[in-house]
Amino acid sequence: MNRQMPALLKPFVALTYILLLAPLAIVVAVSFGASPTYQFPPTELSLKWYRGFFGNPEFVRAFFRVSLVLGFLAAAFASLLGAAAAIGLVRFRFRGRAALEAFFVAPLFIPEILFGAALYLTYARLGIKPSMTSLLLGHIVVCAPFVIRNVMAGLVGLDPRLEEAAMSLGASRVQAFIKVALPLIQSSIISGFIFAFIISFSDINLALFIAGPNSTTLPVYIFNLLLFEGDPSVAAASTLQILIVGLLIWLVQFLFRPRALL
Amino acid sequence: MSTAPQRQRPYWTALVLPLALYLVVFLVIPFIHIVVLSFYTHSPTRIWTPELTTANYVGLADASFLTVLARTLRLGLVSTLICVLFGYPLAYFLARADRRVALIGLFFLVMPLMVSAVIRTFGWLVILGRNGLVNGAITALGLERLPLLYNETAVVIGLANVFVPFMVLPLMASIERINPALEEAARNLGASWFATFRRVILPLSRPGLISGCLLVYSAAISAFVVPMLMGGARVRVIGRQIYDQLLISYQWPNASAIATLLVIATTSLAFVVLALMRRSARQEEGA
Amino acid sequence: MALTPTVEEQGSAPELEVRNLVKRFTAQSVVGPLSFRAEAGEFVSLLGPSGCGKTTTLRCIAGFEVPTEGSILLNGTSIEGQPPNRRNIGLVFQNYALFPHLTIFENVAFGLRLRRVGDRELRQRVGAALELVGLPDLAARFPRELSGGQQQRIAIARSIVLEPRILLFDEPLSNLDLKLRLAMRRELRELQRRLGKTAVYVTHDQGEALALSDRIVVMSNGRIEQIGSPQEIYERPANAFVADFIGSSNLLEATVVGSDGATTIVNAGGLMLRAGVVGHACGARILAMVRPERIRLATTDEPAGDNALNARIKEATYLGQDLHLNLRLDGGQELSVVTEGSAARRLVPGEGVVLTVDAADIFLLPK
Repeated sequence: MNRQMPALLKPFVALTYILLLAPLAIVVAVSFGASPTYQFPPTELSLKWYRGFFGNPEFVRAFFRVSLVLGFLAAAFASLLGAAAAIGLVRFRFRGRAALEAFFVAPLFIPEILFGAALYLTYARLGIKPSMTSLLLGHIVVCAPFVIRNVMAGLVGLDPRLEEAAMSLGASRVQAFIKVALPLIQSSIISGFIFAFIISFSDINLALFIAGPNSTTLPVYIFNLLLFEGDPSVAAASTLQILIVGLLIWLVQFLFRPRALL
Repeated sequence: MSTAPQRQRPYWTALVLPLALYLVVFLVIPFIHIVVLSFYTHSPTRIWTPELTTANYVGLADASFLTVLARTLRLGLVSTLICVLFGYPLAYFLARADRRVALIGLFFLVMPLMVSAVIRTFGWLVILGRNGLVNGAITALGLERLPLLYNETAVVIGLANVFVPFMVLPLMASIERINPALEEAARNLGASWFATFRRVILPLSRPGLISGCLLVYSAAISAFVVPMLMGGARVRVIGRQIYDQLLISYQWPNASAIATLLVIATTSLAFVVLALMRRSARQEEGA
Repeated sequence: MALTPTVEEQGSAPELEVRNLVKRFTAQSVVGPLSFRAEAGEFVSLLGPSGCGKTTTLRCIAGFEVPTEGSILLNGTSIEGQPPNRRNIGLVFQNYALFPHLTIFENVAFGLRLRRVGDRELRQRVGAALELVGLPDLAARFPRELSGGQQQRIAIARSIVLEPRILLFDEPLSNLDLKLRLAMRRELRELQRRLGKTAVYVTHDQGEALALSDRIVVMSNGRIEQIGSPQEIYERPANAFVADFIGSSNLLEATVVGSDGATTIVNAGGLMLRAGVVGHACGARILAMVRPERIRLATTDEPAGDNALNARIKEATYLGQDLHLNLRLDGGQELSVVTEGSAARRLVPGEGVVLTVDAADIFLLPK
């Protein structure tokens, strides 16, 4: 049923969205411009910044060899650890369950630069040099809560009677879970994976502290260029990131409809 | 909701232990480490020596740090208020809109959230920069360029812009829980839209509002990238302080002290948020 | 059921009139056009299955839906352009919609506070409203502490304290259990009579509509099937839908054979029946309707009635007070009969019996 709303609400909401999305739209527009300054609106269109981006080996490295790979690995490990933890939290009753859940989800509430600082100092003390692995280990901590949230929401929404039916037909507890529950929460795990990927892919705060010279992620590279006023190939790189993130979120939202977000 | 109370303990331990151990090693220990480090003494040659001292904390009481602290807290507060102003109507709209509209609206809210803060701030640099959008319009009218960046206003704009989804999401969840019939009842009894908001929606969505405010504030006071890009050297905040002292001036014990304080502050805020969320969930079950 | 004489017995304008109301959702989903009236002090029910449009109609009157066409008039003045908070119409919601964060007192006082009523008057009016619904001592409690029936009464108090012009009810009793529902039914009716307010009541429960209403508007698929008093709806349904929705009925396909001025003879698949109505053309195809409780088992000492039918029992269900029988007539049609449980003899499936029906109990409906 269409609910009535106050008259001024929709225009104000539209304004809010414009303010929210304008920066992104502008970055995309600048990336297609021809001028070496960040010109908006661009007077002539050109793909030269994209060619510049793909022609710059450091950029390409940051994008493909670091950020993308890191994202997949972080998401994979976070999904494994997180999904298992979620199943344990939802399906079993034990003392301290709520506290454990809060502990697992805590990284969501800890500002990333503080975590970055802590990891940086710990690595330094142990003599561990910054590398992709050291960053990966940090990303897993930050990404796991997203997987846990998603999978928990999916499990909670599952009718326990389905597995009971399976057991009445002869399946053991574990078999019932694997054959009935797991396929049904598949979409929760996948959407958790995708969110974990995005978090790692877009992360700047952790990477600033822990990424080394060989493991500069794309956001860090963009950040440095912005500080030192690089050319608009920065905009091209940013647009690619916007595209990838947008596509992935669209995928999750319209195909998997996750129930929990924050 | 378990299918049946579990008595076989090994199962849940096996599932939960890996992540728990992982977090202890890679989350808890690093944080314990900075607390310990914050009590060590700074050494110009070896960065730190394990001599215990409270000098780092005492040293924070000096004027320059307190100015930075005050500025950080102030900017956080203003950003939070702006997020409330823009976030409430948006949250209400998404909570009450048709499913299709709400999904599309959520998409355009979550997408900017997930795109790196760097890129979003980049956009604002183009808008407010010396040769940017606004100044372009101003010079076209024949007026002088305005220095819109590298001041506190710009930082606040950037912070609010980046963190408004943190306000909208919990608020929206809170408003969704309010039975729409309550709004209709209020309207039927004579309330205008504003009266309905003030007397029904506001009190009933308070948990979501508080959660949102705490999340935004927490993020805003520990922000680093946005103030650095939008405020430059003139607008120093705590995040910048930590970054500089860690990676540039190697004042690690001092940085650890600052970081520890910030951790305590944000963790306390987080506890309040979690307690609120649990209370509203319990209230729902009791209703 | 007599109409309650009201203090403001107006002239010719009805308290509420809905005129050619249409609400279009999609090309296929349309409610209306509907027209009906409610006179001052009358209790009118909108009755029908879910999806028939009764709630939509109510929400149009309250102002939460905007009609696509048509008008709604309150005492002669059209209100369909007014926003819902200006109509001064009381609406009692299905799930009560009491404000959980306010006490009972504040819930009832809500509308008064909006109108900036003075403290003393406010307290007095709220007290009076709570007395009226029989719950004067619950003012300091919160809605979650009250039972369903109590919450319902508070919801009513909250509306009537504002002295609205009419009262609208959106299936207010459907969340209550059976015994409570019956008790609340009586209370509701008494309250409405005492207040003398015109009421429009939406329900899908036909027993409720029959018990409470002065007049019933039977709806289905967005259209009005019949408007009438409970007796008219029950005894003289306008069509097969109404006949089957209100109570249960046996419907036999038949053709009109002839009429003798006082009754009409119809041929129902070989069976000749005499119906106590006139006015149907010879040869017309109709449905002969007879209520199960109006069919009797013929006994030897009873004189032969207008209609005698041979039938064989298919099923006999004993329900204590009633005995429900499913029978098959010679012509193959099925019939259900409800008779007293204390039937003199036991009836078994397969047994042949003779049924008797008075002509006055057979009604003819258009096909």
